[in-house]
Amino acid sequence: MKRNHVIALVVIALLVGALMVTIQDASTYATFEMAEKKSPETVTVVGQLDLDQPITFNAETSMLRFTAVDKDGERSVVYFNQPKPTDFERSEEITLTGLSSGDTAFFAQDILMKCPSKYADEAKLSAE
Amino acid sequence: MNYIGEHTFWALAGRFFTYLAFTGALGTALFYGLNWFRPGACSGPDELGRPRPAHGPFLSAGRASFVLHSIGILGVLSILMTAILSHWFEFDYVWRHSSRDLPIEYVFSALWEGQEGSFIIWMFWHMVLGWFLVRGARSWEHGTMAVVGLAQLILTSMILGVFVFGTKIGSSPFVLIRELPENLGLPWTTIKDYLIRIPAFRDGQGLNPLLQNYWMVIHPPTLFLGFAATLIPFAYAVAGWIERRPLDWVTPALPWVFFGVGVLGTGILMGGAWAYEALSFGGFWAWDPVENASLVPWITLVAAGHLMFIVKKKKTSGGLTALMVMLTFVLILYSTFLTRSGVLGDSSVHSFVDLGLNGQLMLLLGFFALGSLVLLVARWRALPKNTADEAFSSREFWLVIGSLVLLLSAVQISFSTSIPVLNKIIGPEGLIPLLGEAMAPPADVFRHYHSIQIPVAIVVSLFMAAVPFLRWDSTPGAMMRRMIPSLVATLVLGGLAAWGLKFDQPMYTVLLLTGMFAAFANLDYWLRFLRGNWRSGGLALAHLGFALILLGALISNGKKQAISQNPVFLHKDFPANEHILVPAGDTVSMHPYWVEWTGERREGHFQIYDVNFYGTNPDQTPGDKLFALAPYIQINPRMGNVREPSTKHYWDRDIYTYVSFADMRSPEEKESGWTEEMEATMGRGEEVFVFDEFMMRCDSIIVNDAQMVQETGDLAALDMAARLTLKHMDGRSETIDVPYQVRGNQATPGEAEFVALGVKARFDGVSDEPGRFTMKFWRKSPEEDEFILLQAFIFPYINLLWLGVVLLAIGSGLAVAKRIAGPKPAPKA
Repeated sequence: MKRNHVIALVVIALLVGALMVTIQDASTYATFEMAEKKSPETVTVVGQLDLDQPITFNAETSMLRFTAVDKDGERSVVYFNQPKPTDFERSEEITLTGLSSGDTAFFAQDILMKCPSKYADEAKLSAE
Repeated sequence: MNYIGEHTFWALAGRFFTYLAFTGALGTALFYGLNWFRPGACSGPDELGRPRPAHGPFLSAGRASFVLHSIGILGVLSILMTAILSHWFEFDYVWRHSSRDLPIEYVFSALWEGQEGSFIIWMFWHMVLGWFLVRGARSWEHGTMAVVGLAQLILTSMILGVFVFGTKIGSSPFVLIRELPENLGLPWTTIKDYLIRIPAFRDGQGLNPLLQNYWMVIHPPTLFLGFAATLIPFAYAVAGWIERRPLDWVTPALPWVFFGVGVLGTGILMGGAWAYEALSFGGFWAWDPVENASLVPWITLVAAGHLMFIVKKKKTSGGLTALMVMLTFVLILYSTFLTRSGVLGDSSVHSFVDLGLNGQLMLLLGFFALGSLVLLVARWRALPKNTADEAFSSREFWLVIGSLVLLLSAVQISFSTSIPVLNKIIGPEGLIPLLGEAMAPPADVFRHYHSIQIPVAIVVSLFMAAVPFLRWDSTPGAMMRRMIPSLVATLVLGGLAAWGLKFDQPMYTVLLLTGMFAAFANLDYWLRFLRGNWRSGGLALAHLGFALILLGALISNGKKQAISQNPVFLHKDFPANEHILVPAGDTVSMHPYWVEWTGERREGHFQIYDVNFYGTNPDQTPGDKLFALAPYIQINPRMGNVREPSTKHYWDRDIYTYVSFADMRSPEEKESGWTEEMEATMGRGEEVFVFDEFMMRCDSIIVNDAQMVQETGDLAALDMAARLTLKHMDGRSETIDVPYQVRGNQATPGEAEFVALGVKARFDGVSDEPGRFTMKFWRKSPEEDEFILLQAFIFPYINLLWLGVVLLAIGSGLAVAKRIAGPKPAPKA
């Protein structure tokens, strides 16, 4: 076997390895119920803000607490240990990345907001 | 009907130039192609052993078509620019992307904010670069220009905006708002002077505030020039392979590759500079899909460029080289598809909005991807047979390995970036539902990408250190020993640096050492062996630059220090975050600084927060004032406010801060905060307990005036008031009159305020019970302390990164210059 073939095999092996790592790292889209089952795995929940429930922001600890409704209509209290994003109440869809604490609440590490299209085509502002 | 105030002529002219550009591209592809494929045109070298020139019957027709195409592109560009500058808001594109208050420099940003405009700037660069081929490609002219014409044909179709058999082809920037499908037949479109009568047309929607930054003026055109530069080597490769000269194309294409490496690399990091200065995610790189989409082709372009040296010197690796060049262009198209098809909607901060061009984009991508593949397979046998393995110590062997490592890096980034695409194909709702649940992008993107890309960077930096010292065929031991000084320097200085920096991850320390080795080796090579010669220094300087980019990125990120640590203890497993509350008039510790918020001011649509940074005395008290920063919030009621950072630059570190939260209510809004509404029914002499601490008593009902309607005895007008006394538990009391007015059937409740006690009362109406009435009370919300939240970072040695970018650009430029002014009477291109 020529050395070039060996190299080709090594490259393919590395490639497969890298892709395996990638797939393992990928999180999944979930509902709050699935997030609870998968806890403490990090998942991504797409949903909406529940404007009827209080949205409180404690500036001292910069902790945001709100209620979100996932695509199945299930509600969950969400804690976000970051400052409240600008125009948070105006978001029409929110993508939460985080984990469920069990049965009490969802802890979001990152929030991506989608604002109504009448404001802008690209007005999706990351929470960070 | 003639509408008043419309610039219909220019809309028509814009369409005309679009069609001209399209037809011109068609002619370019067709005539150059006919010239190219005419019998005997590709019949090998002439009697002097040189390739035959491209003269032929259709050459003039091809060139003439390209002239028409160029006029079309320039016409489209100038009309669109004029429309934006003149605020012709009847144009949908102008209305959506600009406004009257847009500063002149951002007119350019408005021009390429939308998809149509960015296609135009991309085609403009293709057209400009195409002229270099017409002027200098000689025997390659017809082959390469046929490919350029084809690419331009498909790109121009993206802005055609015509319907063929009910299918929309392209989206034109010259569509008037009243011509949009959703507006057809609406009543206002029949108003002659709608532009004057409908207020919405007086001003445009304006440019996204995020893009109103000077980097956004130069980043997109630079990036698109880099994109465009990949077409030229692609065209050469295709031409070479079709003509069964699978190695010859490399020499004329080489300068273009390094031109592309320099320009695209600079363009990408200009985007990084924009993110660092205008976005508040705290860094210059976020592994955002849109960023990755332009990084990946750059990586494969670098690999292609390095492989091309092997083809040129050793006449081997021709297949891999062509594959990499073609892959680069296909990846450019793929990145276009990713950012423009809307497929990244959920995962990226800044992808374009979907224009319904997905089918066309996929066609573009599929055509060039499959075409390249078919060409490579069909012509693989034209490659010279490679019999021997390269020597282990040869430069070519390590260049191949290095290129494969780069390919690995590119594939991994591409794969992770493509997760939304994979979902569309094999997700639960995809074409072939293989996956049970939809994949989401990795939760911690930094950890994810770094787990693969840091080892890649380590290997690549080792190769970069070695490559100047390696020789073609095999490297003598004496040459290898010349690396020893750099190795010693790395071990001494790198050891010191590693000891000083103390990375918590061992991989970071390894990269620090290999990165420094690469930097020292290339610096050493340039100064000692090339004696600082600029002409031959391209390789060493570009590698030094890239090593510095790696080091700058590593140190500024790996040792990025959040100094705004929140002091509040939450839970042992739940660390407090990195946002600190700064009350007005107080000084807060952000080790090693003390920070004071002195006030806020409004300048235009910027709300600016003035923040002073003080040093720390040995006894941990605030020291002298060191510098002031002014982070601001860009107020944009339509697109949302944007927090923008402010940075103090030192040579060895940046201090970066932004306001992560601020109470944006106006002083009046804050003032009028009445809360805890309560209702009570009262009569004269009655007392009500309100807000747990007051006693409210109705002393009397005062009737000031009453008029009856004489005939019926009904009430015509009544002016009355309730005299209320409010008594606090501590004995303070206050008396006011709350008015109430009736005119016929119309009753007007009146309000009055107990100013000293901070309670408001409203005489709401008369009760059904005689002599009693309903009152509402509010109390003033307590004065809120003014505060802002700040997040602040120290980025150490980030200037290494920017210095590296400059050196990389200079090095690539020198490499291009050397290849253009080569010793042979080579073609000018």
